[in-house]
Amino acid sequence: MLKIENLNAGVEETKILNGINLTVKPGEVHAIMGPNGSGKSTLSSVIAGSDDYEVTSGSVSFYGDDLLSLDPDERAHKGVFLSFQYPVEIPGISVSNFIKAAITEKRKKIGLKPISAKELLSKMREKMALLNIKPGYLSRNMNEGFSGGEKKRNEIFQMAMLEPKLSILDETDSGLDIDALKTVAAGVNKLKNEENATIIITHYQRLLDYIIPDFVHVLHNGRIIKSGGKELAKELELNGYDWITKEADKKWGC
Amino acid sequence: MGLLEGIKKYSQENPAINTQNKEAFSMFLELGFPTKNDEEWKYTSLKKIISKEYKIENKGEKINENEITESSLGLGEKIIFLNGELLRNPEISGVTVTKKTNNNPKYHDAITALNAAYAKNGYNIVVKKNTQITEPLEILFLTKNASNNFIQYNNSILLQENSSIKILENIKNLTQNLCFTNTKTEIKINNGGVLELNKIQDYSDSQFLIDNTNIVQDSKSCSTINTMLLGGAFTRNNLSFIQNGAHCESNMNGITVLNNNEFGDHHTYIDHKNEKCESNEMYKGVYAGKSNGVFNGKIMVRPDAQKINAFQANNNLLLSDDCSINSKPQLEIYADDVKCSHGCTIGQLDEKALFYMRTRGISEKDARQILTFAFVAEALEKITVPSLYEKSKALIEAKLNVSLSI
Amino acid sequence: MREKNSEDELLEQVTSTEYKYGFTTKIASDTIAKGLSEDVVRLISKKKEEPQWMLDYRLKAYHAWLEMEEPDWANVNYPKPDYQEIIYYSAPKQKKKLNSLDDLDPELKKTFDKLGISINEQKRLSGVAVDIVMDSVSVATSFKSKLAELGIIFCSISEAIKEHTELVKKYLGTVVPARDNFFSALNAAVFSDGSFCYIPKGSKCPMELSTYFRINEAGTGQFERTLLIADEGSYVSYLEGCTAPQRDENQLHAAVVELIALDNAEIKYSTVQNWYPGDKDGKGGVFNFVTKRGVCYKNSKISWTQVETGSAVTWKYPSCILKGDNSVGEFFSVAVTNNLQQADTGTKMIHLGKNSKSTIIAKGICAGKSNGSYRGLVQISKGAKNSRNFSQCDSLLMGDKCGSHTFPYIEVKNSSSKVEHEATTSKIGEDQIFYCNQRGIGTEEAIAMIVNGYCKDVLSQLPMEFAVEAQKLLEISLEGSVG
Repeated sequence: MLKIENLNAGVEETKILNGINLTVKPGEVHAIMGPNGSGKSTLSSVIAGSDDYEVTSGSVSFYGDDLLSLDPDERAHKGVFLSFQYPVEIPGISVSNFIKAAITEKRKKIGLKPISAKELLSKMREKMALLNIKPGYLSRNMNEGFSGGEKKRNEIFQMAMLEPKLSILDETDSGLDIDALKTVAAGVNKLKNEENATIIITHYQRLLDYIIPDFVHVLHNGRIIKSGGKELAKELELNGYDWITKEADKKWGC
Repeated sequence: MGLLEGIKKYSQENPAINTQNKEAFSMFLELGFPTKNDEEWKYTSLKKIISKEYKIENKGEKINENEITESSLGLGEKIIFLNGELLRNPEISGVTVTKKTNNNPKYHDAITALNAAYAKNGYNIVVKKNTQITEPLEILFLTKNASNNFIQYNNSILLQENSSIKILENIKNLTQNLCFTNTKTEIKINNGGVLELNKIQDYSDSQFLIDNTNIVQDSKSCSTINTMLLGGAFTRNNLSFIQNGAHCESNMNGITVLNNNEFGDHHTYIDHKNEKCESNEMYKGVYAGKSNGVFNGKIMVRPDAQKINAFQANNNLLLSDDCSINSKPQLEIYADDVKCSHGCTIGQLDEKALFYMRTRGISEKDARQILTFAFVAEALEKITVPSLYEKSKALIEAKLNVSLSI
Repeated sequence: MREKNSEDELLEQVTSTEYKYGFTTKIASDTIAKGLSEDVVRLISKKKEEPQWMLDYRLKAYHAWLEMEEPDWANVNYPKPDYQEIIYYSAPKQKKKLNSLDDLDPELKKTFDKLGISINEQKRLSGVAVDIVMDSVSVATSFKSKLAELGIIFCSISEAIKEHTELVKKYLGTVVPARDNFFSALNAAVFSDGSFCYIPKGSKCPMELSTYFRINEAGTGQFERTLLIADEGSYVSYLEGCTAPQRDENQLHAAVVELIALDNAEIKYSTVQNWYPGDKDGKGGVFNFVTKRGVCYKNSKISWTQVETGSAVTWKYPSCILKGDNSVGEFFSVAVTNNLQQADTGTKMIHLGKNSKSTIIAKGICAGKSNGSYRGLVQISKGAKNSRNFSQCDSLLMGDKCGSHTFPYIEVKNSSSKVEHEATTSKIGEDQIFYCNQRGIGTEEAIAMIVNGYCKDVLSQLPMEFAVEAQKLLEISLEGSVG
């Protein structure tokens, strides 16, 4: 579904991504790991369409469409979902109104009638149960005064409601205690099926104990320097990043 | 004879001095001293001050070394003025200190026009390129006179590229005679220059002051002005910053602790003319007795001055029912990619904190003093000269009648 | 690569939005010659069949006005109106006195339909009593008899001057004296109509009272006068809406509103102001110079809520004089300016009574080349012990050609009171828009949503049916960037 070829991107003069190649097929779970500053979050922002970064060359296609030519909301309508590392607060707008707006927009684009209040509510209830979310949460303002864990759970809740084809979880585990981590991971696992794919972006291996990846990629200086199966993550946990990054630096130069 | 008549008389008797800046003088005569009808003087009356009689020319007084030592903060090198005349002028490597050289000063209102017309004295400091002066430079303005005085200073400071200096200004009236000082300081900071200017204003009841300080900044320069207003019958500080260059930083901090019939007015103005600049402003005021305070802070962001962060806070404690505060924080914003905010609070000490301290065995009086000191401490910490920090702290504690060993 | 300037394009669209209430109604009207003189004041008074004391009041105000100067301290620039070019009285001609709204001129009725005020509809559904002021005179008041049963008086001020003389005489000009300012003096001299309302002791007005103001005739000024008295222990919620046709010349609106909340009474006064703002080049539009003030006696409360989207120039400071102990004043405001609109608006909270409290929430939204200013005064006098004020003034900027300004004055004279003032100015959050985009919400909808959320604290103060209207107006005013 997703094909990234020789993607280069950066901010003004600074290059951050230096030729990323990645292919993701339906049903797969990919983990992208790497030390701080390796370009992990840049990659997710570029896929989602943030104009904080400029793409200098390369391509990203999604089911054959040129993703880079689309606005962020159009990408979302195609089924790309980004769980933000730092979810944004939107004062005065309740979670339920926000999700309703998102669903309505998508349905409008694909020519469907707006979802009925009843249908929406029952779907919300179902997903809330799935993610173990307490009632009362729907009427709170978007991320306003949410704890770190609540914000991340809100991201996964939206993912459940919007049913994307490709979910990118950017550092979803950061700031979560172990119980919250388990709940979030369980949610992600429940939402996984043959049709959709997940990219997990993480610094640590611990989330991968709960969401088992099919592929693990190591990102360093804006390049994927090593790919492997789930055992690669364990190896990184044990030996750190140094042993591969040094090798890569030799190959590419720093 | 009031001051205005006094000045007119003086100008007639000294026609030669008149030529210094004729236009400025006629502007002053046309406008006269500002009144409460003037928006910038809405809460500040000069009436009582200008109704008094002052001597305008002062000469011939002597001062002994003891008096200087007692008045000085005793930190580093000193420039000393007595009754408007330059008395002592230190030699510092990389710094030129001379008597006022600018005979064509800028002015924009009646007060600065009067200064431009008649100020004969003042200092002129130039810090040479790439020179870092670590030792603080003290400027001491002393008055000792047998009659009421009206004194004006016209000063200038120039920081050349990438130079830095820390200065402290200290004004003292050694007599019971009234002294009305109208001082103006033009500061220019070239690219990369860093200035810290500390004004210690712990005046006696016989001191009236109008201080006009204007700072113009080039790119990547930084200025910090700390004003400790701890006394004086009347003080008006006009502090303005113009950021001509990009990536500038301007900081202004103030502590005001007033009592009895003291009056203090801080007018600040920051003009963000270029992009990617920052300004931080923190003024804390504590008012007791029958004292009155005014705060007027304006943040201006010009069109196209994008990516500006401007922050202003004015917090006040009123400790008696006979004191008052008038605060006017203003924002005038013409660019959209900015983050500007101001906050103003007026209130009392936190009763919960007071109670908490008392449960720990601290007397109510001590607790109040400790909390009041804590209230202003945040602004005090902006002083980066350690010895001056200690001195200022001691002065504030004395004013608050606190003896804190913690 | 995707286009980065979609936001700029949207802002472009904002400036091309047209005013939707810019039609005129063709009805015969009784209009006097333009210009102002003592004779004109006498003529207005005569046309209204007023008693002598009222004429005296007007003349005194007129002479005071002659000696006053138009204020220029507000942060607005406009060509000063020529007061001899304005028509001071214009009334739609009606054949007979109306018994009910059903007798209304069909042309007038159409106007109200276009304005979205379906009188019958509102009457049935929400039970809002409506007084309608067209140009200078009140043309229709609904629900009068039903309210009368409760002792509530709701009628035009002209009628009140004749029928409820004692009340009008007692209170008119007590909160906003004729000499208060240039525009209040002008209003006192020439006001031709407005609404009057009296809520008797202890009664709670069972429905929202509402006045719709409309300027129709060309070249007319509108000078309406509202006097609202809530007697001891009573409650009333009052709504006010305004529109004007699209005309190339500027029209002057100088109204005066006086509220009196006696002991333990509560008045909620809501305004949705949508006078014609002028076109995108700043041509035409209403000058809205309004004096609104309320006085609160013991334990009483006055709450001003305003949504200001129209007018070329707004000069308006709904204020509270908190005279009684434990009285409460509130001011909730959303002010939107676009194109070349200018607004200088805010409030004054004058604390005189002990334990008096005031809250100010002001939200400014500036787009296009407009300028919006908040100007406010919080004054705590020596005797107002234990008083509290909280003020929050936020500005949201959309586009780099507009300006937003904050001018608060805070004056405190005792040591037991507490004042907190906060103000922020910022751009609409790009990170918020991107976040919404990522969830599939387009930029336009995202901005609408963010603006609505930003104004929520104020909009939630409006009565239901008005809140919906206000939300729509916000969207129209920022249309293009707000869905």
